[in-house]
Amino acid sequence: MRAYGKFTAMAAVAVIASVSLLGCDNELGKKEYLVTANKPNNLHLIDTETHEVAKTFLIPGDGAPGTVSVSPDGQVAYVITNHMESLVGINLDSGEEVFRADASYDNIRSKHMFAMTVSRDGKEIYSFQTPVRILPGEYQVLDTQIAVYKTDAGLDAKPVRVFPAPRQISVLAPSVDGKTIYGLGPSIFGFNAKTGEIESSHPLREWGRPDYGVPDILAAWPTFEVSNILTAPYFVPRTDKAPDAPDAMKTGLVSLNLKTGEVTTEDFENTSVLIFSTVQSPINPNEAYGVYTQLTKIDQKAHVVSNRIDMDHTFYAINVSHDGKTLYMGGTMDDVVAYDAATLEPKWAVKLPGGGDQGLASLRVVRR
Amino acid sequence: MKLGAGACWKIAVLGLTAGWLTTPEAGTAQELDPRNILEERCSSCHTPRAGGGLERISDNRKTPEGWEMTIVRMGIWHGVEVPEDELAVLVRHLSNTQGLAPAETAGQRFILERQPNVVENIPNAELNVMCARCHSFARVALQRQDEDEWRKQSHAHLGQYPTTEYQSLGRDRDWWGIARDKMPKLLGEMFPLKTDTWDDWRKSAKADISGSWRVHGERPGVGRYVGSAEITATDWDEYEVTYALRYANGSEVTGQGAAIVYTGFEWRGSATLGDEEVREVFALSEDGNSLSGRWFLANADEVGAHFNAVRVREGASTIIAVEPQMLRAGESTNITIHGFGLKGNVSLGDGVTISEFVTADANSITVVATAATDIEGGNRSVSIGSTIATDLFSVYSQIDRLVVEPPFAIARVGGGTTPAVVAQFTAVAYLNGPDGEAGTNDDVRLGSVPAEWSIENFSEEAEQMEDAKYVGTIDQNGTFMPAGAGPNPERKYKTNNAGRVTVKANAANGESQIAGDAEMVVTVQRWNSPPIL
Ligand code: HEC
Ligand code: HEC
Repeated sequence: MRAYGKFTAMAAVAVIASVSLLGCDNELGKKEYLVTANKPNNLHLIDTETHEVAKTFLIPGDGAPGTVSVSPDGQVAYVITNHMESLVGINLDSGEEVFRADASYDNIRSKHMFAMTVSRDGKEIYSFQTPVRILPGEYQVLDTQIAVYKTDAGLDAKPVRVFPAPRQISVLAPSVDGKTIYGLGPSIFGFNAKTGEIESSHPLREWGRPDYGVPDILAAWPTFEVSNILTAPYFVPRTDKAPDAPDAMKTGLVSLNLKTGEVTTEDFENTSVLIFSTVQSPINPNEAYGVYTQLTKIDQKAHVVSNRIDMDHTFYAINVSHDGKTLYMGGTMDDVVAYDAATLEPKWAVKLPGGGDQGLASLRVVRR
Repeated sequence: MKLGAGACWKIAVLGLTAGWLTTPEAGTAQELDPRNILEERCSSCHTPRAGGGLERISDNRKTPEGWEMTIVRMGIWHGVEVPEDELAVLVRHLSNTQGLAPAETAGQRFILERQPNVVENIPNAELNVMCARCHSFARVALQRQDEDEWRKQSHAHLGQYPTTEYQSLGRDRDWWGIARDKMPKLLGEMFPLKTDTWDDWRKSAKADISGSWRVHGERPGVGRYVGSAEITATDWDEYEVTYALRYANGSEVTGQGAAIVYTGFEWRGSATLGDEEVREVFALSEDGNSLSGRWFLANADEVGAHFNAVRVREGASTIIAVEPQMLRAGESTNITIHGFGLKGNVSLGDGVTISEFVTADANSITVVATAATDIEGGNRSVSIGSTIATDLFSVYSQIDRLVVEPPFAIARVGGGTTPAVVAQFTAVAYLNGPDGEAGTNDDVRLGSVPAEWSIENFSEEAEQMEDAKYVGTIDQNGTFMPAGAGPNPERKYKTNNAGRVTVKANAANGESQIAGDAEMVVTVQRWNSPPIL
């Protein structure tokens, strides 16, 4: 993913009128789209200007689509699908299948397990895998690994490098300089992007915070592309409180700065609602947003919830526009909605063609 | 996870049932040699061992339901085709040669009996969170295998369900590390393959169940029943049975059925009782003289009844039930004592006078009895001649406590091809006993009483969501019928008809009333219902 820097959405807006839906060859004409997927196996490109689904492509083979990562030039969406056994690249202009990597081979059954990302230079894809050897009369769980593929490897891609990785990683995210691939799991591991060596490790499960138990971190939504900060909510019991005390359970945010590698874990409320995914504001370093049955605005400086509204159904995935003014939500059912980041008022909504559930599909923001 | 296991289990359950029923007549089943089937259907993957036996298969002991599940799973996971008649033969053979002894199933029978809403007592907190969050602990506790085999079971779990270590209560711990090392060691010690209990049981002579039996039980929501069962053998492990039952409300039900007895004691039957199709899961006691368990509707296993049968033995005498089972101070009523070989003087214990004999034969004696107005509440020994029963009858002046059973229940909304799962409640009257304290060992369970039933919102959250209005309705037999499945446009968040309510019972207590309650969660449909939940 390119560091877009000062090239703001405002500039993009100015040129939109001249860009046809197919006019992606116009370098100046970059504007913001959402990329998401739904069942059975559809990939969608949503135009955030017209609030319409600009394109829908059928991903070949079985569904259901899950994690989505888009190449830095916004041309190709890589999607985990086929019961997590395949990683498929679809050209977002033509719908052509340009990449496919099946995780299983011989007597090894393996999954692309949630965590997957394209590299910053767009040349490689990193995928976390859970191989199992199927013997006659016996299964053998093998060690987990990160497989690295070349994006130009075509439809029968094989890994060019494979390195061991601790189990239970659920998100992979590349550092801004491209040298590190971070894996969020029991710790936040920093893998050397070339050698796979673990160069840094920030414990989460064993974070050692006095009077705190083990945090429960549900992180399956890679939403770092706009702010370059990866965040996920955690829920944690306090060990110094009576179980029925109002502050016996705390909700907080774990944040990883992809520029600096810095990790913070900070509570912001006594647990009162469930939050599935969060996203960091690109314009206000002290503001983050989370969603599930409610949409929550988090003040990270004051450590409080500064606003919260009820949604009309649950949403799994949240993301934010490059100008920081609009929140996008998807996941579950076929609704993708946009809300005002300042007021939390609804702005617009689209229904995905086919009506299928988005499930765990990522909702990514791209400029192309 | 590829499998929509739901459909598969329905086939599985019906499959075995059909097996039970067809095997007696089929004849062909007899010609199927289980060793040939194992060779033909299993040995391609489970390699024969030099000393006999097959890899993995010989390292396990299971209940009939456990074997059925494993073999059906071989079909779903590994594409192994086992026709129904061969499945029946294999389940029978493996349960007989690699089964569990009666004592090894103690404490876990509720799961085989498909008793709803049982809260399990799990001996170890880590085991609970590791191995009893997706299915019952009973499923685990009804298997016998050594550490290494338990480890392979863990490999199969994570191998098949790789998201296990990402789920809630999986992702907050080193799930695989614990499942691979700690759990197999613990389970191998708790539930090892080789036990004296099993060796002894396997060697022991098994009882012939044929004969005359006296039967009693209670069907929650309907009431207590007594009656008889005439059992005849059709093969060394197959029986036919005729029932004649009479409920306390006066209704009479007759029926007949057939059963296979696995492992010398596991009675699995299918019967027609009145106009209902039922399944029976009973266990024969080690002495062969009592048969007990639960029967339930073939198409709704949460609806059923407790069942106890005692073999009628020449020259012996037993009291099995007293109806009604409780008598209030100052009240006078007909009381019937059920059993067999009944003969002699009748006593209903201190403070209860018998004024008249209404009827008397060897199986039941009816008397008119009166409890003294100042009678002290508690159990009364009932005796006829020298035959005594100590805990079948009690007297009281006031009920101390009304307990709703079960204290916590789950019901499921219904719709489409999946019928609702109802919840059945019973109001049970208790005395606090001599110490006057509720919940102590000297409490006296008087028995179930009629009650007025209602539901209320369980909590403030339920109040806001108006759960009690949407989840369904309860009738005056304590039967809760859940509402329909799917999103409800009338509800906040368009949520479905799930919710949490308090179930309230109100019963007469002399001139006043006594109340009790239970908690119920109404939730979504369950798509699969394997033989061992
Ligand atoms: C196509 C290969 C294949 C065939 C044929 C096969 N199995 Fe298996 N079996 C497996 C595999 C693979 C495992 C390990 C994974 C698992 O537990 O499913 C296994 C595991 C088992 C286990 C140990 C796990 C447990 O749950 O107890 C038993 C017992 C078993 N099989 C019984 C049978 C029986 C009986 C048959 C014949 C009716 C059979 N298998 C046929 C492949 C097979
Ligand atoms: C993530 C949910 C999950 C957890 C956790 C889990 N199980 Fe299971 N288990 C299953 C499912 C699903 C099946 C049934 C597979 C089938 O028959 O289709 C099963 C089946 C079994 C069976 C029966 C296998 C057979 O076919 O006969 C045993 C025994 C068992 N589990 C033991 C364990 C033990 C021991 C643990 C802890 C280490 C455990 N389970 C933890 C989901 C789970």
